[in-house]
Amino acid sequence: MQGLRYFVREAMVSLWRGRRAALLSVATIAAAVFVLGGFLLLGANLDRLVARWSAAAEFSVYWRDDATREQQGAVDRILAGSAVVAGREAVTKETALQRFKRDFPALALAAGSLERNPLPASVEVRLRPGADPEAVAQLATQISKVAGVADVRYDRQWIERVLAVVVLARGLGLLLAAVLIVAACLTVANVVRLALFARLDEVRIMALVGAPMSYIRGPFVVEGLLQGGLGTAVAVILLYIGFRGAQARYGDAVASLAGDGTFVFLPIGLTTLLVLGGLALGCVGGMVATRGARGVTVES
Amino acid sequence: MVETFHLSKLYSRGVYALRDLSLKVDKGEFVFLTGPSGAGKSTLLRLLLREILPSEGEIIVAGRNLARMSANQVQTYRRSVGFVFQDFKLIPRMTVLENVAFVPRVLGAPVATQRRKTFQVLKWVGLQHRINAYPFELSGGEQQRIAIARALVNDPMLILADEPTGNLDPDLSLEIMNLFREINARGTSVIVATHDRELIRRVGRRAITLDHGSVVEIDDQAAVDARA
Repeated sequence: MQGLRYFVREAMVSLWRGRRAALLSVATIAAAVFVLGGFLLLGANLDRLVARWSAAAEFSVYWRDDATREQQGAVDRILAGSAVVAGREAVTKETALQRFKRDFPALALAAGSLERNPLPASVEVRLRPGADPEAVAQLATQISKVAGVADVRYDRQWIERVLAVVVLARGLGLLLAAVLIVAACLTVANVVRLALFARLDEVRIMALVGAPMSYIRGPFVVEGLLQGGLGTAVAVILLYIGFRGAQARYGDAVASLAGDGTFVFLPIGLTTLLVLGGLALGCVGGMVATRGARGVTVES
Repeated sequence: MVETFHLSKLYSRGVYALRDLSLKVDKGEFVFLTGPSGAGKSTLLRLLLREILPSEGEIIVAGRNLARMSANQVQTYRRSVGFVFQDFKLIPRMTVLENVAFVPRVLGAPVATQRRKTFQVLKWVGLQHRINAYPFELSGGEQQRIAIARALVNDPMLILADEPTGNLDPDLSLEIMNLFREINARGTSVIVATHDRELIRRVGRRAITLDHGSVVEIDDQAAVDARA
């Protein structure tokens, strides 16, 4: 306990003395964690958005006007036997026209003036959440081959495309964050090394009186740890401010697209992991910087 | 206490700092190492501190072979050796009290023990009234006394001093040497490296003269003369 108090006190004194360099180090860590956290935040929200859209995803089977009861029965049997289908609803031509008039009241008069109803009858299929996209695609292909089927529209196709863009963006984000993390780690290591060189006489005296290596390295490792902690704290605070700003500006638009509660901050578990990661980053920097401390005074 | 056998130290640039050096210092003895600059005095002290390793030969201190020590054993060994440098090597940002208490503190001694030992040793070197002063506020002689107090605070069996009076005038030098004599009188072995022959004569102890890394003279007479 006495040792830990000494490490923390010495680390804080050293941080204050080398505050300009330490500021650079803290800023680099903050930038790395901010980028990583930003992509995690964006990814988590897009995942939630896509999950909501996926849960609401339908595929629709449109009938030709001359489709027979047997053909409709064949499609019904296929849907009933499919593991990816959660439910289905038949929509007649008349119901489709009513919905059109309800959804597009400005066009209702024009639709009513037509000699014949141009909208096809259809079956709206609700998919099970997490349904295998491959299985859904196979089902759509199978149904599209049944005589009497005019078209099969599958919502998930564009959701999959959105998902692919999300995955790509997340991958690039993680790559960028990884580069910044390495840069931050090196910055911490160099700043701590500067502190080590500034106190080389002290380190040498400590080693010559027989101080344990852990006692010599401890303050420098804690210094890295403090830099990591400060940098991460700054990053999380900035991330939260940015999130609240975006929520105030775009929250309504997102809610209208995907419902309330879609736009949320990082879960507490992930935030904790981010903070621990920042601390570990600083700690590793401190350890790397003091790796050669033994060589300062002991030839082996 | 200290014995070296055919000790050599070859630095990487191909220069021998010590060559085939064999000598013995008894327990409780006070010995001077003397000789011109580059004779190998500091190298021998660095070897005795286990700061560097010999290229050939062996060094035995209190029955332990310094070349065969693990890193942990080196730490334990160093706790039994005190050192004093010409340039004092005090930590400028620390007060007198902190500079001396630094040793028991880094060795993990309880706070009460740190304070007791530090006050004891500062009283002994006569600087208990300067505990809150910083090194730059002290004279050269006072700074060296603080360095000696730091070397003594852990009750070492051996004190190594490298040109401890190099930065001091003759009167202060003698004052510092008297401190070493008192330390020695308490049973601690003392090895002092100096090129000041006049000082050796005035203190009167065995003097080992080195030149080009080898012993050229062992002057037991200095001690005899001084006692006479």
